[in-house]
Amino acid sequence: MTGGASASAEHDELRQVVRKFLGERSPSHAVRRLMAAGEERDHEVWSLLAGQLGLTGIAVPERFGGAGYGPAELAVVLEEMGGALLVAPYFATVALAGQALTASADEDAMARWLPGIADGTLTATLAVAEESGAWDLAEVAAAAEPAGGGWAVTGTKLFVIDGHTAGLLLVVARAPDGLGVFAVDGGAAGVEAARLDTLDPTRALASVAFNGAPAVRVGVGRDTAAWLPQVLDLALAALAAEQLGGAARCLDMAVSYAKVREQFGRPIGSFQAIKHKCANLLVDVECGRSAVFHASAAAATGQPDAPLAAVLAYTHCSQAFTRAAKECIQIHGGIGYTWEHDAHLYLRRAKSSQLLFGPPARQRARLAELAGI
Amino acid sequence: MTREPSTALPVPEPEPDADFRARLREFLAAHHPGKPPKDPGQRVGWTKAWLATLFDHGYAGPGWPREFGGMELPFAHQVIYHEEAARARVPGPLGTGLNIAAPTIIKYGTQEQKRRWLAPMLRGDTVWAQGYSEPEAGSDLPSLRTTARRDGDEYVVRGQKVWTSHAGDADIFFALVRTGTRDSRQHGITYLVIDARAPGVQVRPLRDLTGGQLFAEVFFDDVRVPVANRIGAENGGWPLARTSLGHERAAGALNQAAMYRRVLTELESLARERGQLADPLVRDQFVDLEIRVRIMRYNAMMTIGGILARGDAGPTSSISRLLVTAFEQDLHEFAVDLLGPAGLLGKSEPRAVQRSRWLTGFLRTRASTIGAGTREIQLNTVAEQVLGLPRDPGMPPR
Repeated sequence: MTGGASASAEHDELRQVVRKFLGERSPSHAVRRLMAAGEERDHEVWSLLAGQLGLTGIAVPERFGGAGYGPAELAVVLEEMGGALLVAPYFATVALAGQALTASADEDAMARWLPGIADGTLTATLAVAEESGAWDLAEVAAAAEPAGGGWAVTGTKLFVIDGHTAGLLLVVARAPDGLGVFAVDGGAAGVEAARLDTLDPTRALASVAFNGAPAVRVGVGRDTAAWLPQVLDLALAALAAEQLGGAARCLDMAVSYAKVREQFGRPIGSFQAIKHKCANLLVDVECGRSAVFHASAAAATGQPDAPLAAVLAYTHCSQAFTRAAKECIQIHGGIGYTWEHDAHLYLRRAKSSQLLFGPPARQRARLAELAGI
Repeated sequence: MTREPSTALPVPEPEPDADFRARLREFLAAHHPGKPPKDPGQRVGWTKAWLATLFDHGYAGPGWPREFGGMELPFAHQVIYHEEAARARVPGPLGTGLNIAAPTIIKYGTQEQKRRWLAPMLRGDTVWAQGYSEPEAGSDLPSLRTTARRDGDEYVVRGQKVWTSHAGDADIFFALVRTGTRDSRQHGITYLVIDARAPGVQVRPLRDLTGGQLFAEVFFDDVRVPVANRIGAENGGWPLARTSLGHERAAGALNQAAMYRRVLTELESLARERGQLADPLVRDQFVDLEIRVRIMRYNAMMTIGGILARGDAGPTSSISRLLVTAFEQDLHEFAVDLLGPAGLLGKSEPRAVQRSRWLTGFLRTRASTIGAGTREIQLNTVAEQVLGLPRDPGMPPR
């Protein structure tokens, strides 16, 4: 149990550091400025969080310049970023591409790209979904052909997180010998990326068309099926952590407002109808916290239930965040319906996170399968 | 912030103690009382015999002080104890004394009171039942009206309690009574221990909506109770009423999660046998319950982890009852719905599915969100005590 206790103390410390940083560097007005300008990040904030705080390297092995932590610590960071709605390619670079490279166990690929991810000089993403929008490997149609000493990728990826700004695109495509992951330089010839107009202005989604784009295969000599599904589960667990942070923030906002807003001569938070809404949100949030903790710990230690725990955490937190965002608007009343209030930013993030990897019913069906129902 | 990749399991699993677990498992297997008798009267005797066996072999009261027959185990071992007891499916405590009255006595009783009451309660020699609610004092318990008038070294108790579970089997009632003025609310309440066989005590069984008789009304007609049976100070009973011992409830939450894990798996098997799992709507409802039953376990582990690491149960402990009560209601209703008309068959019908357990559960769990504080009151408590929302100004202060 001592392992758990010291891990929990370390996590608390990490959480405080990240929370303080984001409180100063990613307040609402900063989020709104980036959002309005359509920028993917504030470069100064990014260089601080990468350099001073080492957050881009948190889940990168030490020998590639990272801190050597894993999914559990990454979850703590993402929870805080979700709470602050940080506008930055952090999730795509660290949770998706970084964890994918590490899971590939491809020494060359890791040595080539992980140090850049760790020190913040390289942004990256993972491109899986196509026309259906689902992160389902069976539906991948993009093709990779051997070309010169390397590969050429052709096909169109959709809903690629930060896909139009990423320096490195890890593209899931079908090679003659089966599914593979192919690294494409964001600026390479034959790559055409454009940001999509979507619900959530704080997280950019792009369409990326590849037309014979030059690529390097990642995970050469290893069966992709042995490690890529694990990457998708890590992504689910990571996004669940971010959603938890968002849900917790919505609850905080609702509770703070209910304490000060007076109607009928008393704070609205003294009415049972509002109290019960808030208490039910707390139940959702606390359950999400347990589920995220379990999912990230199971992933970190390679527990057999890690895939199920990831889908479970993501499914629960998707619902919890969306519900919290809606209730936050409801409890704020008219002011919550305005553009100026942040409540809608959370609703946008919540709904788009809930749908990011495919329709929720698919996740539930997968959970049924994993649980043997 | 640089270190080796994390390999230590941060999930708060209790420290495994193979020896203790094995010893306990062996004991439970060797002395297991078998299946419960169907007759409710016989079941009481059967449970008492089991409690005596535990006590006599030093396996009773995992969290209790040794001085009064308990095991005084460290918390991690208490968790193991409860896990093994649940796994072995041995009977739980009889009456509400062990979980509710005992912690109060242990914390606030005099040495004499502890000696007199604790060991017989733990051994199952005396059954304790709770006298808190009254016809006019349910959720608003501080408005209770049963009075205790001081007369020399005795109190004279007069009034009525209601919804008293196990009242028919009880040897002793632990009750909240009014010693202050009529409107003194929680400042005029005293905690008294009343002999169930004292003159003037009358128990009238109530038939609950399941058709069973688990609870009763209890009438006190000038019942004389020695002042020595008062726990705490006169008018000082209110804060004592909800005492808990250490973190036993956290271990209880883990057990409930394990129990419902088992029950849900049994329901899945039933649905599979009946060929209903092929229906995607049915599967989706199972997914919902699957998520909830697993989260109940995760929550309990978080709570336990918090206790072991920081000595603090954290907010997950205050929500566990809200979760489990809603879960057990939804689970049983879903089961009955799955069975369709067959779900309506009573126990006596040969065609009844699994002796009508799901139907019984559907009815029984109506009480889950009422007894020991309604769901609405619990939500208020969470909102006020965890989230810090203001109290309804129309309500009397806490």
